Amino acid sequence: MVRPITMPKLGQSEEEGTLVQWRKKVGDAIARGDILFEIETDKAVLEVESFFEGTLLKIVVQPGTTVPINTTVGFVGDPGEAVPEIPAPAPGPQRPAAPSPPPKAPQPQAPAPAGKLPEPPIPAGDLRTAATPPPRPAVAAAPEVFRISPRAARLARESAIHPESIAGTGPLGRVIEKDVKNYLEARGYSRLRLTPAARRLAVQENIDVLTLEAAGTPERITVETIRRAIAEKPRPMSRMRQVIASRLTASLTTTPHFFVTVAVDVTELSQFRSELKARGMSFSVTDFILKAVALSLAEFPDVNSTTDGSNIQWHSRVHLGLAVNLEQGLVVPVIRNAQELSLAELHDCAEELVARARAGKLTPDEMSGSTFTISNMGMLHVENFTAIINPGESAILAVSSALKQPAARNDQVVIRDIMKMTLSSDHRIIDGAMAANFANAVKNKLEEISLWKRLA
Amino acid sequence: METFGVVVIGAGPGGYPAAIRAAQLGASVALVEKESLGGTCLNWGCIPTKALIHAAGVFAQMRSAASLGLKVGKTSFDYAAMVERKDQVVRTLRNGVKQLLAGNGVKVMEGTASFESRNRIVVNSKAGKILIGAGKTIIATGTTSSMPDFLPRHGRVVDSRAFLELKSVPARVIVLGGGIIGCEFACLLARLGVQVAVVEILEDILAVLDADVRRELRRHMEKTLGIRIYTGQGLENIAAEGNTVRGTVAGDTLEADLLLAALGRKPVTKELQIEKAGLRVNAQGCIEADEYGRTQVATIYAVGDVTGGPQLAHVATSQGLVAAENACTRHLRRNETCFPYCIFTSPEVGAAGLTEQEAGQKGLEIKTGRFNFAALGKGQAIDDHPAGFVKWIADPETGQLLGAQAVGAHATELIAEATTAIRAELTVTDVARTIHAHPTLAEAWMESAHVLLGEAIHAVARRAR
Repeated sequence: MVRPITMPKLGQSEEEGTLVQWRKKVGDAIARGDILFEIETDKAVLEVESFFEGTLLKIVVQPGTTVPINTTVGFVGDPGEAVPEIPAPAPGPQRPAAPSPPPKAPQPQAPAPAGKLPEPPIPAGDLRTAATPPPRPAVAAAPEVFRISPRAARLARESAIHPESIAGTGPLGRVIEKDVKNYLEARGYSRLRLTPAARRLAVQENIDVLTLEAAGTPERITVETIRRAIAEKPRPMSRMRQVIASRLTASLTTTPHFFVTVAVDVTELSQFRSELKARGMSFSVTDFILKAVALSLAEFPDVNSTTDGSNIQWHSRVHLGLAVNLEQGLVVPVIRNAQELSLAELHDCAEELVARARAGKLTPDEMSGSTFTISNMGMLHVENFTAIINPGESAILAVSSALKQPAARNDQVVIRDIMKMTLSSDHRIIDGAMAANFANAVKNKLEEISLWKRLA
Repeated sequence: METFGVVVIGAGPGGYPAAIRAAQLGASVALVEKESLGGTCLNWGCIPTKALIHAAGVFAQMRSAASLGLKVGKTSFDYAAMVERKDQVVRTLRNGVKQLLAGNGVKVMEGTASFESRNRIVVNSKAGKILIGAGKTIIATGTTSSMPDFLPRHGRVVDSRAFLELKSVPARVIVLGGGIIGCEFACLLARLGVQVAVVEILEDILAVLDADVRRELRRHMEKTLGIRIYTGQGLENIAAEGNTVRGTVAGDTLEADLLLAALGRKPVTKELQIEKAGLRVNAQGCIEADEYGRTQVATIYAVGDVTGGPQLAHVATSQGLVAAENACTRHLRRNETCFPYCIFTSPEVGAAGLTEQEAGQKGLEIKTGRFNFAALGKGQAIDDHPAGFVKWIADPETGQLLGAQAVGAHATELIAEATTAIRAELTVTDVARTIHAHPTLAEAWMESAHVLLGEAIHAVARRAR
């Protein structure tokens, strides 16, 4: 029986997904649980497993294409079975580099059932009836057409220059060969010392040699110059990076941030951790911070609230985001209902989420809904730093490294392990005094070993 | 204390051109040399060996003249006269260098230079110690033969320099080391009728070259010249006694009248006392310089063999000119990266740029085109059995010429065209379309470019399997 494979809905807020790469080829045998393909959502790259057994009969959606949730991306069945003819969907706007299938292809739509992976597959029969393309936004009027004669275009191409800025003197402002020649002369093209191999590489890679640094100096334009220009070409950011960029920009530019720093003496906490370790209980500094923050948020409900500028919404539950740095960018898995979790439970929960984050296995739902975020750069040897508030929250705690520092105790200078923490707060809700009191509440808990002796 | 804008230490092919260029650029220049103007290249290296190799080549041609329809009586040579001519060539050229330096106003100081500080240098000469000041210093002290401890200290165990002073030629010679120097001497001696064995510890002789070029050269050295070549094994149990040198390799006992050690060269830095200038040698004993010839000390430059480069006179000269310009002008120039190797073996070898084996190590995609001299009119005209070929190595995407190798008659002259083409970043098409004079050996470059493009006229494309 031929079954369609669909773009899964991996998170409640996901409307579409980008198919990054197929892991199976047409004709490959598929077992239940095999990784079929990888998709990229706003937050992560995820692997999609098969729920069927059979053979991959057809790939409908090519890598690099963004399609709505539940779009059929391929078919699994028995070898030789007939596959329904459906055209490949058009790529989404995020990936201009994707191969371009025929435009305005109908995109099969099916009601998106709520819930998480696994998604029930759409019965094959529905495909015929449900094929209506989503409305496409009207394209803005195209800019004036660039007109160029074939001879002029060829001269520009062979000279490795971009002709778009040349003023055309032909009919309708068409650029003709003479215009390109005049342009080359005016720009001193003949004085460029362009090596033959460099010119050929520039033509192949569509580099405009008139824009290169060596132009106009006695230096030659060599293959090295062109390779540098190729390396410097802007590359599209990954979708994940783009989302990080827009969210952080929105947060920093729309939320009035202010910062309060406290220095925590973690000397005794470190000793206590060693004692626990000797007893076979291993906790990280992060675990203690998670607990201290969860306790403090109960004391300061406004810090666990958000505002849209006119209303304040308190969140009765504490969902703690924990920033994890990955090669591809930052992810923030969320520990839900942290107010109910013991130190040991927080430890287990954080450990599992971080491991899943490093393995790229977090689902979008595991990365949303936090009410407060902790960013710990302790292992990165920093004295102090500030963090940008995660959109949808009112504060974030930036934790720096514990460093041996001179400190005054009983009017004596002693060496202590000092760890600085900086709270970034949304000044619309949180005033200076509240931020200071909250930061000190966290600090005091971390320094109060009797508390941990009860909680550990 | 006299102070100079530029002090150059070492008057070899790196140092004396640097001194002349610095003087041309208006600097007051002192050139310190402890032995002879021209350095190793002119006095004990490139030039004297080529004088002898040329004579040996003519002698070999005399002996094979019958194949050209010529009649030559009994052939023989007078080695002492060959050496005297060699010395005359060296004297003429050394005198030329002296006049060039004088004509450019370079003050030549005889003696050994050592640093007092980064801008004070003591010249230890026969007349005593002279302290001079130096605005900029260019170190060009070169290298000297390595004579490892396992070699017996004996009159019958010599390096290349000592060999060139011999007044008679031995009947049997063991050449230890199959690098450029070892192979050149082996071919020179074999062509004079000397029984020669070469022992190289690496897997093959001349490891810088591609395997096909090595194979062609080695076949001629073994088959035509009768040289015994041992590779992959070292010479053991080396002993020198009276007039005989012995050693064992691969179960064979070699016996000879002379052992020529060609085991590489080591940098000359001992007397410089560069630590007083704030410099240090690296693990290989070299003074490191960057691509502009600059050392770690701002006013001190280093060029040529002492920097640990490819040990070629022409590379040293190019670096010397760059360092002099960088020391005297504000426009920084980088060292050239494309240079030819010229190996005066029989047959000769020339190489420039990327080799196939380097491309393999770097994982670069390349295309090659080869053309045999035997398929050229000129090749046949000058030799019954023309040896060798030329080979281009090119980028498959752009056709850029990345490397070239030639093995055969006049290969050391032919490589010049290839070096220019590579440095100018020409493409295969540029060379293929350039009209090459007929009949010449240089046509092989055009023909091999045609081969690379799959458009050969004078070679039939190998049928695809």
